[in-house]
Amino acid sequence: MRSRGIGFGFIAALAVAVLGFAFIPRMILSAPAEPTMGIVQKIFYFHVPCAFMLFLSTFVCAGGSIAYLFKSSEAGDRVAASAGELAVLFGACVLTSGPLWGRKAWGVWWQWDTRLTTSFLLFLMMVAYLLARRYGGPAGRKLGAALSLFAAISVPVVYKSVDMARTIHPKTTVVTTLDPRMRAAFWSSVLLMTVVWAVLFMLRLRLERARAEVAELRLAVEDAAEVPR
Amino acid sequence: MKAVRRVLFVFALLALGPAPALAQEFEKVTGPLRQEIPAVPFVAAAYGIIWLAILLYVFVIARGVARVNGEIADLKRRVDTFDRQDRRP
Repeated sequence: MRSRGIGFGFIAALAVAVLGFAFIPRMILSAPAEPTMGIVQKIFYFHVPCAFMLFLSTFVCAGGSIAYLFKSSEAGDRVAASAGELAVLFGACVLTSGPLWGRKAWGVWWQWDTRLTTSFLLFLMMVAYLLARRYGGPAGRKLGAALSLFAAISVPVVYKSVDMARTIHPKTTVVTTLDPRMRAAFWSSVLLMTVVWAVLFMLRLRLERARAEVAELRLAVEDAAEVPR
Repeated sequence: MKAVRRVLFVFALLALGPAPALAQEFEKVTGPLRQEIPAVPFVAAAYGIIWLAILLYVFVIARGVARVNGEIADLKRRVDTFDRQDRRP
């Protein structure tokens, strides 16, 4: 059985997350304001990293699902389940912070434009993944795994949607054309969010392993109870 | 007298015609414009919601881990009990 102790990697990641939590907001506040949108543009520094984490979670979930679907890997399924939950968490963060930004910048909470609609659909696919696992019965895990593959395929569509269609959402070029101080704050924020993601992923995976251990022990108890004495 | 009649006729026409839309006219702002939605509450709300969601998720996982660890300890105790019973002569 695998040890359930907290590793050095987890503690280091947690320390970086705590330090980041203390310093990144200062960097964001000191970054220059955008002239058209003003202060509300600062939502960009955590809205976009959350979107990146949604993409990362979806890809990791799909990777684990591939291992589960084609190699019957239980470890792969545990990775997929953990990443799937994180995809929903970060998807919810993106779909909450985005409308707050939109209300101020565009005057409306929501627009059914390409980026917003595809992001919402990706989020729904990941919610469907979790629902399939939970309520799909014996085939639920496999059904969910297949769903997560479709979700991963839709990630590039979500990312490139702003370049492919007419939209009021900022295009992908805003990141490459950032002012150096804005760029530093943005990539620091991305790094922080990645570390937070890693910490959450490790915690969630630990829970999933512990649940697998419980299932094994239950079987052992049932076997032991059935042995005639 | 004829002139008075003409004036009265013009006034009557004006009274019967559509009323001037004085109430629907836009007036220009004289002082500084202070109608913009403040940005700070939106930024604070977005930042707060994200971190609150993450902290809530950590709390949910921690509760799950504690519950599962309790189950593991209980099941291990039961397995040990069965093992001891098996070892008895």
